[in-house]
Amino acid sequence: MEEIMSVTFPLESGLLTTVRLTTGGVCSLAGLDLDDSEDCKLCVTESLLVLLRNGFSRARLAFSLQGGLSVQICGESAGAPSAEEGQDELSLALLGALVKDLVMEREGDVVCKIAFRFGA
Amino acid sequence: MEDSELFRQYRETKDVAVRNKIVEKYLYIAAVLAKKFVGRGVEYDDLYQVACLALIKGVERFDESKGLKFSTFITPTITGEIKNYFRDRSRLIHLPRRVAELRVSLKKASDEILSQTGKKPTVKQLAERLHVSEEEIVRAMEAGGVVSLDRTTEKEDDEGMNFYDILASDDGALESFENRDAIMSAVKGLNETERTILDYRFRQELSQTETARRMGVSQMYVSRMERKILEKLRTQLSKDMAD
Repeated sequence: MEEIMSVTFPLESGLLTTVRLTTGGVCSLAGLDLDDSEDCKLCVTESLLVLLRNGFSRARLAFSLQGGLSVQICGESAGAPSAEEGQDELSLALLGALVKDLVMEREGDVVCKIAFRFGA
Repeated sequence: MEDSELFRQYRETKDVAVRNKIVEKYLYIAAVLAKKFVGRGVEYDDLYQVACLALIKGVERFDESKGLKFSTFITPTITGEIKNYFRDRSRLIHLPRRVAELRVSLKKASDEILSQTGKKPTVKQLAERLHVSEEEIVRAMEAGGVVSLDRTTEKEDDEGMNFYDILASDDGALESFENRDAIMSAVKGLNETERTILDYRFRQELSQTETARRMGVSQMYVSRMERKILEKLRTQLSKDMAD
């Protein structure tokens, strides 16, 4: 699997625009169409929000080319999950609706890694 | 009252008041999902309206006896409707126009800031001046040279033709049809773009998505053109047979 780039950053809302722009740029490099690029950006931000609600204060976002664009988002620096009930359910349903092969890893009840693929 | 009880009651009575109660309870999902798709060239209010209609349809279709939570059921339903809306409307009409308009404003704002401050503006400054997100500015900047495929060409020889009509295609791509006189005759009535689509879809057996990618158009366009081409061929072949 050819990793195009990876970036580790604090999970702060002020950085989400930067992450979306980065994701948009990578999608463009990977040749994704406009719809897929927009969906990919949405899925990345949604995944980051899931990790944030699951108590992580940092995340590692990695993009690879493998039959399209593969995206992996891992939580780092774990803390206490927030008590926003139902929010994760909505985010996960949205992710499930937008990507075909969503993979989610949990440690106990905590979601710690989300991976999906776009294109091809 | 519990959700399952409300749904059971609605299924039995079809009472609109009960349906409205359920819809009101889940309106927040329509709002949340509509917000997620903002920034793609369609106003929030339009997206919210689409999401609300999908929510009402979802309430009609939901079967609580299958044990699924309504929120889990309705999220992909609303998302699907919003995406269909984008497919049908925004890609072909709103987005290119919006980007084109933004590019014009961008140039104007850029010149204004330069003359006021003596410095070239940052993306942030432009976003603030034009009341759009930084992302939209970057996207508009990247969209340089974008023209509508429906725009009429400026070349004299191609007067009255649009860019779709003059997209390049491989002239040798239809060899396999050479011995089929009737089809060839019908195919001759197609323009270059239609022939390219025919070749990609039926000779090379590419998917609509791949065809769209190679031609730099949307999958919806390929789908519509395909229907149009087949109808055209069908009409021509029927006419030939009648002759």
